[in-house]
Amino acid sequence: MSRLVACLHLLAAAVGLCLIMPVLAAEPQSPDMVKTGLHILAGIYGDMDRKLTAEQYDRLPHENQEFQEGSGALRDAVAHDPAAFKDKVEAALKDCLAAAQKVADESKSHDKSKVSAALASLATSMKALNALFPAALRSEPGTVDPPWVKHQK
Amino acid sequence: MAAVTLPIGCLSQAALATPSGKHIALEISSDGDLLAFKPDQLSCPAGAAVHLTFHHTGKYVSQDHDWVLTRPGAAEAVAQAALEASEKSGWTPAKDPRVLAATTPCGKGQHVSVDFTAPPPGDYPFLCTTAGHGAVMHGVLHVTPG
Repeated sequence: MSRLVACLHLLAAAVGLCLIMPVLAAEPQSPDMVKTGLHILAGIYGDMDRKLTAEQYDRLPHENQEFQEGSGALRDAVAHDPAAFKDKVEAALKDCLAAAQKVADESKSHDKSKVSAALASLATSMKALNALFPAALRSEPGTVDPPWVKHQK
Repeated sequence: MAAVTLPIGCLSQAALATPSGKHIALEISSDGDLLAFKPDQLSCPAGAAVHLTFHHTGKYVSQDHDWVLTRPGAAEAVAQAALEASEKSGWTPAKDPRVLAATTPCGKGQHVSVDFTAPPPGDYPFLCTTAGHGAVMHGVLHVTPG
């Protein structure tokens, strides 16, 4: 009887593991492409941040355009993943794209506080997008751009 | 494809008077759509006639890149000048005295070249001067004794 209970426990654990694995790991089919896709978006975010710091508001709509284009890399990266996972990525990506568009829209006001708030909202969306992938593949906004040049000052 | 040859009056007379007579072809590219050069380290002998070709290997993002070689220690200031310049100001790397050589900008899938005489031995930073890129898209040209 105790052996049967142990087997049932093992079976339950295995089933539970099977159910939870996709949520925990979410290991994509093309991890290198995902890593690059997330890195591209984080790089453009960094560029937006630098333009804001320099108060180059008129350049931000172009950065938004780059962000929209760069999202294609992540879409291609998950193209062969299960539909349920792709849907999650697509939903998170849509939030990011809307947030990036908001940065471009707010840039027309030349109001630093409004643009900063829009950029912070974009960062939040990007963190949610990154959270769908294993930590090793993520490029969180604000982490891609190290302080100036490791080589020379 | 565009080619730019800059005056090299900013280089030392020693370099101009004792050219190595060597001709060097250097190839460098963007790291796909990432803001990075690949490779980010190059080398050549002092006084060599250098023909450098930059390949923009981006696939998704419509952003221009260039390759700009500066005096040692000047890269950050050049990057900042590029960031602060508006399209109306007319700032271009080729007009900046801190710049030793520069390609014209190019878009994804394109390539551009520049010819220049390698400066005296030392480490010379290079960067992309598209506004905002220089902070992360950079590298070093190691010039060895000819």
